Amino acid sequence: MSDTKNKKIYKAKVAAIEKVTQSSFYIELKCENPVEVKAGQFVSIYCGGLTLRRPFSVFTNNNGNIGILFKERGKGTEYIKSLKVGDIVDLIGPFGNSFDIKNKKSLLIGAGIGVAPISYLKEKLDKNGITNTFAAGFLTKNEVPQKINIDKIYTDDGSIGEKGSIIDYLEKLIQEIDPEIIYACGPHIVLKTVADLGIKYNIETQVAMEKVMACSIGVCRGCVIDVIKDGKTVNASVCKDGPVFKGNEVVWQ
Amino acid sequence: MAITSVNFKGFNIKNPIMTASGTYGYNDEYDDFIDVSSLGAIVTKAISLKPREGNKHNRITETKAGMINSIGLENVGIEKFLTDKLPVLKKKNIEFVINIAGSTIEEYIELAKKCETNKIKAIELNVSCPNVKAGCLEFGTDENSLYELVSQVRKEFTGFLIVKLTPNVTSIEKLGLVAQNAGADAVSAINTLKGVSIKFNYFNGRFNKTIVQGGYSGSGIKPVAISAVYRLSKVIDIPIIGIGGIETLEDVLEFFAAGADAVQVGTANFTHPEIAGKLVRELEEYIIKNGFKDLEELKKKLRK
Repeated sequence: MSDTKNKKIYKAKVAAIEKVTQSSFYIELKCENPVEVKAGQFVSIYCGGLTLRRPFSVFTNNNGNIGILFKERGKGTEYIKSLKVGDIVDLIGPFGNSFDIKNKKSLLIGAGIGVAPISYLKEKLDKNGITNTFAAGFLTKNEVPQKINIDKIYTDDGSIGEKGSIIDYLEKLIQEIDPEIIYACGPHIVLKTVADLGIKYNIETQVAMEKVMACSIGVCRGCVIDVIKDGKTVNASVCKDGPVFKGNEVVWQ
Repeated sequence: MAITSVNFKGFNIKNPIMTASGTYGYNDEYDDFIDVSSLGAIVTKAISLKPREGNKHNRITETKAGMINSIGLENVGIEKFLTDKLPVLKKKNIEFVINIAGSTIEEYIELAKKCETNKIKAIELNVSCPNVKAGCLEFGTDENSLYELVSQVRKEFTGFLIVKLTPNVTSIEKLGLVAQNAGADAVSAINTLKGVSIKFNYFNGRFNKTIVQGGYSGSGIKPVAISAVYRLSKVIDIPIIGIGGIETLEDVLEFFAAGADAVQVGTANFTHPEIAGKLVRELEEYIIKNGFKDLEELKKKLRK
């Protein structure tokens, strides 16, 4: 009885784990049943005794082999980093909405580890023959993951690509590429800038947000942000209503 | 009758595993993980007279052995609950308790009346939420206010009336007695403990801080909860529903041993969304495996 109900619980086996930049890692988890994941969706991993599962955007998905990128930031990611090939992981998901893919000339913005869901999105756009440009910003060359197909790179120290923060190049990028839609994931300030520019140039923006979560499924109301719906400011949960929001609907703090 | 059933006054549930308010929504979200109708009952997220937006952001943080939340009773309000959520619970045959929260006695009375009109079988009075400015916890910490509130609600509501007690008092026994004397059919204990977490990192010459002040829950509070149930069981005669840090069958049995008649699983639902269903199965297996006649016999032996 219970097994047919457990459609979002997986005992996944670590198929690969490797360091991909000086501070980030790639882990591939083989789920017991192949599972379909849309770009922008996330999975939540139980991290060895910690109360809160840690949510991760899906970076790759090949027949139920879910790949994620992560940085070691605290106890949760420290646990995941310690896993070895063959270890069993308690994973639930996929959760959340997803990027609402439009057949329009697209600009993709990723910053830091935020490139993970954007790279997955690019895969889907390419598959559908949608014209896109993927621009990504990092601190330095050693922070650029190899497995990603990026068109334009920016680094704070100029060690690869153009020098400076991607934030300072966003407006120029928009003018150059003249996109009809922008998708973005990265630090709050990058997303806010993308949203502001979207409004200025009257371009639709979709941003993938991040927030500490407890339940991952919209129950606890712990991860809410303010959004504008029908002219009113209301709560939206990042885990269920998001993580992808229209940039012009988010009330930026 | 199932071997695990619990016979509360006018509110019989098929097993003693319930889910705590605020951790199970109104059930829908858990369909992907378990058959919710297999649980004894779910307690709904706290419902107020009018919808509530809840507190501003940074509402949760992890602690050692648990978490702190400051949601602030965000909920859809009683009217929307009755029109949108109630029919779903009934259709799915899920037993439930409505957790009600108000800022004034009048609000609680109004809520109780609506529950009575809609033939709700059981309500849990939330007099112990630490995260809202008015009402709630004030009623739960003052003996006179609590007596007044419970007796007024009792007049309006004929179903099973549970009072959820706070641990943030000197003597939970006194408040439990007050609830009993005012006409409560049961108490549930405990709500969250008051907690604060300050997380910081040093960057560019200054500390960036994230402060979350609210209710502490999770496995760390279990000894406090067991103590509350244990002490309450010495002084009150009405049933006690134990809450606090339950994650395993051993935890459930420990609550029974301390004097609980049923339990509510809370924070663990976030960590393991299938946990409540798993505990139902494990409890039944435990009773059968050890040759107990039923749950009642198991409880009796645990308390000897």
